[in-house]
Amino acid sequence: MRSHNPAAFMNNPDTHSGVSNAKLGVWLFLASEIMLFATLFTSYIVLRMAASTWPWGWDVLNVPLATLNTAILISSSVTIVMAYAKAYDGDKGGFQKWMAATLLLSLGFLVIKGFEYGHEFALGIGPHTSVFYAIYFTMTGLHGLHILGGIAVNGGLLYMSTVDEHWRNPLFLGRVEGAGLYWHFVDIVWIFLFPALYLL
Amino acid sequence: MSTNNDAQHDKHRPNVGLYVKVFLALMALTVVTVVISKFHLPRGQAVALGLFVALIKASLVGALFMHLWGENKVVHKMLFITAAIAALTILPILDFVLLARRITSPADVSSQHPGEAHAGEKGGE
Repeated sequence: MRSHNPAAFMNNPDTHSGVSNAKLGVWLFLASEIMLFATLFTSYIVLRMAASTWPWGWDVLNVPLATLNTAILISSSVTIVMAYAKAYDGDKGGFQKWMAATLLLSLGFLVIKGFEYGHEFALGIGPHTSVFYAIYFTMTGLHGLHILGGIAVNGGLLYMSTVDEHWRNPLFLGRVEGAGLYWHFVDIVWIFLFPALYLL
Repeated sequence: MSTNNDAQHDKHRPNVGLYVKVFLALMALTVVTVVISKFHLPRGQAVALGLFVALIKASLVGALFMHLWGENKVVHKMLFITAAIAALTILPILDFVLLARRITSPADVSSQHPGEAHAGEKGGE
């Protein structure tokens, strides 16, 4: 069991705003990420409206694999929030189990995306093929990089939980919460990417 | 004795039952999104419906997984400012694209120059 009281941590924000510095920092970072993806979605809309023809996603992309990836990412959002719940209760074993599940699901997402990309590259399809594929590879590629970043952070937290000094640190719960916020954001981006590129 | 600290503690306590319900709702909505696409609706309707379902899913994740429901007002204000700045910078671009599209569409050209264009020659998408 962790020695600190999570309520004490949650109720002692280190800013006058009532939000801890760490959480405020994560939200500011996510705000910048929102702007980044908003500009990309705008580019997608502008390019799509300006194009004389635009393919239906289900004609040119692998919808079943993308649907499976959507289910995987949604599941990983649940496993990371369960990991947070276990960290909150000071249950180290439970935290490690759910965080490991999150990591496995994230890796599964990347493997499936790798299959998709591999198949497309084998057919000679790349960002150079058309405007549709240019925006498809840009958006899914950037999202994939965010998944990689999330894997690094979540893997780091899983490792830190094995070191007593980190696990007992009162800041650890805030770190898990921050990582969870980031991961949910990555999930939300995919929630919009999936219909925009694959189904519409 | 029930203290303010206890109440705060309960407020922040993760609700596992709720997370499972949200997970099931997200999975169901994913199926709905795919099923909608199978109907091969006209593009406008398909986009509107698809994005509407995506918006519901994103709201569920944001409100309940990210705990925006009941989050500190500072975070709400920050996200509102972000959305406002995004809208202020993006909407003029979209407006320009829509305007450019309208004034170059065959229907619009024919309405401005009835003698030169052939109305209804190309009916958009």
